[in-house]
Amino acid sequence: MTEVLASRSFRGPAAGDAIEAVHNDLDSLWLDVPFVSDMDQMTFTTAVIESASNIVQHAQPAGPRDVELGVETVVRPHLLQARVSAYNAKPPYGPLDACIPGEDAESGRGLALIEALVTTVTFERQDGTNTWVLTRTSSQD
Amino acid sequence: MEFSYEVKDSYAEVKADGRLNMVSAPKLREFVTDVIAGGSNRIVVNLERTAFMDSSGLGALIGCLKAARQAGGDLRIAAVQPQVNMVLKLTSMDKVLTAYPTAEEAFSND
Repeated sequence: MTEVLASRSFRGPAAGDAIEAVHNDLDSLWLDVPFVSDMDQMTFTTAVIESASNIVQHAQPAGPRDVELGVETVVRPHLLQARVSAYNAKPPYGPLDACIPGEDAESGRGLALIEALVTTVTFERQDGTNTWVLTRTSSQD
Repeated sequence: MEFSYEVKDSYAEVKADGRLNMVSAPKLREFVTDVIAGGSNRIVVNLERTAFMDSSGLGALIGCLKAARQAGGDLRIAAVQPQVNMVLKLTSMDKVLTAYPTAEEAFSND
């Protein structure tokens, strides 16, 4: 595995405050790696926030414990990776494939947007945790 | 995110300052609904200070557009920043939400 140039980790209750905290983490992460292009920073931040918001809005608890959101972001040479997790959550309900809703729809564009922003999206489920792994190859100087 | 508005000669300008995400999207919807209820159905959302928008924020703008049209008016956006422009283009919603360089230009030809 190649060298880690910078990283951030967040875990907390899956609520609106968590989205702001993750966004602040990402803003501070980019300060550590200014050689990552503005375009890569912008696209990856958008994909991570979309994915985290999807958990906050839709993840259902699998038991008595509330769902927690976890976001681990790592910058390696030429690679950005985020593991966005829903802890204590049921398996995701509904289609995992992206679709494009009608132009007057007010929701349903998140998954398609994530897929357009990153190089790969994979899903893992283990021990009651749903994890979306986002990667984007990065054109670093 | 903070919202403010100002009624101009032929439209109401709504300024949105901050991140337009799943937290602030419902607040934008409520704010614009109140502006429309106050008698303005031609709305310009000035996004000059909106550095970030996700699909929730986009959904709120579409909801506000529908509300303005249902009231017999329209909603346009202005001063779109790069990240917001990227989200509009990737979702093809740049064809639905018309963007203008400045708020003043949004309704200038109507």
